[in-house]
Amino acid sequence: MTNRVVVVGAGVAGTAAALTAARAGAQVTLIDGGTGASTLATGALDAVFWPHAPAHPAPIGRAAREVLDALGGYALPDGGARLLTTSGVARPARGHDAALLDIMPLAGSSIGVVRCERPGWDGGALARAWGESFQPFDAVVIRHVDERVLPDADFAMRHDDDDRLGWLADRLRDALTRAGARIRAIVLPPCLGIDRPKGRALSERVGVACGEAIALPGGPSGLRFERARDRALVAAVDRVPGRATSLARSDDGWRIAMGDGPAREGDAVVLATGGLIGGGVEYAPAESIVASALPPFGRPPFRLTVDAPLTLGANGRPLELPGTLFGIAPESIAWPFARDALADRVGVLADVEGRTESGLFVAGDLRADSPRAWLDVLATGVAAGAAAARASRQGTGSAAMAR
Amino acid sequence: MPEEPLVSVLPPPVAMAAAEEPLPRDSVDVAIIGGGINGTGVARDLALRGLTVALFERNDLAFGASGNSSGMIHGGVRYLSKSPQVTESSCRDSGYIQRIAPHLLFRIPFLMPVRQSAKGRIAFELIDAYFRAYDDYQPLKRGEPHCRLDAADLARLEPGLVGAVVGGITFDEWGVDGARLCVLNAVDAMSRGARVHVHTTVDSIARLVRSDGSGRYVVNARDRFTQERLGVRAHVVVNATGAWSPVTAALGGLPQARVRVRPGKGIHVVLDRRLTNYGILSEAVDGRQIFLEPWQNVSVLGTTDDDYYGDLDDVRATSEEVRYLVQGVAHVFPSVRSARAIGTYAGVRPTLYAYGPNEDALSREHEIVDHAADGAPGVYSMIGGKLASYRLFAQELSDKVAEHEFEVQVPCATHVRPLPGGDGIPDAFEVADKHGITPVAARRLIYRHGTIALRILERATRSERDVTCPCEPVIEAEVRHAVRDELARTVEDVARRTRLGFGACGGMRCAMRCGQIIAEERGLPPAEGRALASEFVLRQARTRLVALGPEQARQEALSLAHWRASLGEL
Repeated sequence: MTNRVVVVGAGVAGTAAALTAARAGAQVTLIDGGTGASTLATGALDAVFWPHAPAHPAPIGRAAREVLDALGGYALPDGGARLLTTSGVARPARGHDAALLDIMPLAGSSIGVVRCERPGWDGGALARAWGESFQPFDAVVIRHVDERVLPDADFAMRHDDDDRLGWLADRLRDALTRAGARIRAIVLPPCLGIDRPKGRALSERVGVACGEAIALPGGPSGLRFERARDRALVAAVDRVPGRATSLARSDDGWRIAMGDGPAREGDAVVLATGGLIGGGVEYAPAESIVASALPPFGRPPFRLTVDAPLTLGANGRPLELPGTLFGIAPESIAWPFARDALADRVGVLADVEGRTESGLFVAGDLRADSPRAWLDVLATGVAAGAAAARASRQGTGSAAMAR
Repeated sequence: MPEEPLVSVLPPPVAMAAAEEPLPRDSVDVAIIGGGINGTGVARDLALRGLTVALFERNDLAFGASGNSSGMIHGGVRYLSKSPQVTESSCRDSGYIQRIAPHLLFRIPFLMPVRQSAKGRIAFELIDAYFRAYDDYQPLKRGEPHCRLDAADLARLEPGLVGAVVGGITFDEWGVDGARLCVLNAVDAMSRGARVHVHTTVDSIARLVRSDGSGRYVVNARDRFTQERLGVRAHVVVNATGAWSPVTAALGGLPQARVRVRPGKGIHVVLDRRLTNYGILSEAVDGRQIFLEPWQNVSVLGTTDDDYYGDLDDVRATSEEVRYLVQGVAHVFPSVRSARAIGTYAGVRPTLYAYGPNEDALSREHEIVDHAADGAPGVYSMIGGKLASYRLFAQELSDKVAEHEFEVQVPCATHVRPLPGGDGIPDAFEVADKHGITPVAARRLIYRHGTIALRILERATRSERDVTCPCEPVIEAEVRHAVRDELARTVEDVARRTRLGFGACGGMRCAMRCGQIIAEERGLPPAEGRALASEFVLRQARTRLVALGPEQARQEALSLAHWRASLGEL
């Protein structure tokens, strides 16, 4: 009994699986193939797609909360949160990256929208779009001229520096005085730190609640997740950079071949390589793999990017060969032609804990038919991590069964 | 003047609710229906001759075939053997367009590989001789003479070509942004007093029984956004609605058979970069000639030609058509298979009607139909035509109208007077330096606007020089210019004029901001700006998805996740 769990993928699901398995006493190796969909997250934490969110959100499981606590930098208010998007929408969420402004507790008060020269940020237009309680006001947030064009994440990184944050707080206080109005909170363009969310630190210095609006994918929130993850994992698991290429049964468990470097062995494996966005699943019509003429064989329209004995499917059923050698008509598998489309649901078929066969689990976006929302992904990682830790204790279950 | 009764030319086929309305007070010399290249070309020509003009466009300028062509002002090389005078006039007109809009044209050298076969050698000699004849016309459009290439030359020029060849030839053509050409014609017409109404559909064309000279016809139109009705009296009505021509004729009770077209759908696939610096001709599986061309900062595969029976307001490429083109070009240039397709576009040619011939064998000529023979003197339809010969077609129609209907002797000036901004090409580096934008943004702005780029930048505040669409790129001031001065009302309209959102991200980074700017410019509530953006994103997603490949599938999933995170359901 060696108790080894290998987690493939270092996004939200992989991190949750690794932390949970480690907490359960497993010896965890995390294979980190680089940035995926988690780094593109916006900082809004949902359990289901938010227009379908229930009025009274369900409590978060204990293990999931432990993972969030280990990461730090996230808030999960009991009654949910209300966040602002740079598309001009105020939307509900279950929780949020602590740099984002939650307007739920601010109902009825006047909220100031910073007017400043950041790309794509028009404080006046956003205030009008968000609603009556928002009022634009001029504030200096640009200190150096390059900051007028700097990407959000790079700009946010400058506020990791405490002096710089103090400078910003001074400017905002001045601006509040000049605006003279009863502004009770401030919405800023995405800018509040990368290393740690600076929402609270800034709020304390300015004296009113300060926070960001949700940015485009690839903004500061995803990078803040990476930093939080790196800190949380460093003590808990053995982290190996590189890409897993294939997964096969070995004498005493599973063998994970790497694109570069020695293969890894585990008694149980959690595969969390992401879905279509993250790169765990690839759209691969037959025609895309041949140079000319007709492809030699038909193939299902999606494939796994790691070679593993797993079944891709959707709606609980495995993918089938299409009736053409060219590849499926994309119109029939994806939004906006198809609702609840195959491309949205495709993934590895698994049970509720992510179990596929003995000792092999999947988590996160890689799973078929899952909502692909941040907290849901976290929950699947927690479930798979706990189950993998149990399976690894049960003495190389897969190998035992194979024999 | 007593209210005169309205009577349609023939018993009206459509409900004449409009006839209940009082007669419009506005009166113009000529009402033009259709804001494609023919309609805007005629509007400009007639306005330059001093006639008053009103133009009605049901969708947007360049919405149909004009904005969805292969983007070439070509010399009509295919007509050379049967009607060399067409080649000559096409080449001459290409030269004129270079003179009036030099900023809008770019050279596309084409390669035509000749494959090895039993008669390959002979075919090569014949093609060489054919293009030698074409060389005589090239100077008219500042084109280079053709080159004869052996297999090694061809491989050196474009190493991506595969297959055994006898050799190949080069020939020179000019690329153009067809949508901008339409917009510039319309804007110039407006600057000379023409009224141009976009998103305004004509409900009926009726005839005044007794005329007092203030107009023989009443054109009743309706703004499709506001439902506001507007109408004009006109002495002359021009139907320049391309593939819609029979539909338009029916609104005036005219016999459809007189303006019959055989709509031919053509699609193009857009790849995310210039895969080659040469246009490359290839044969599709059915022997049709198709091509891959570098066009602005993308590559374009084209084109199909299939009879079309669908809705002209909603023409879209299908994945089958995309596969046909990709297969046909991959035949000689296999790397198109691994290239990333970021979109498709589709239009319907207003080809002259004939029952029987194959689509490709149909005439690309144009024809003016005088409806006097149908009992409607002063009503003309423009049928057929090509982007490359639009100016000539517009001139023919305008000559006829000016002389016969108004006895105006002012000669045509559309071939000598520059289009707006066409009086020079400012230096992009200087402009970038002076106005604090990147040289790439300056270069693209100058491509689209010529000297008007300077005016756009001079009026721009500092924040309006920020980039709104990073793919193209398009600065905010250009978006505002499109709304203020170029009649754009939706995000799609802005895209047509600026190429905003037509890049690799499919509008993910710019559509919402663009909607916000339009809402601000037009005084709409913010939610309507969002709705305009969603509408664009949705439409673009539909046109992209049919060309879906592995990389674009990831981008689509990411875009969808983004829209869901920031907007909810689209």
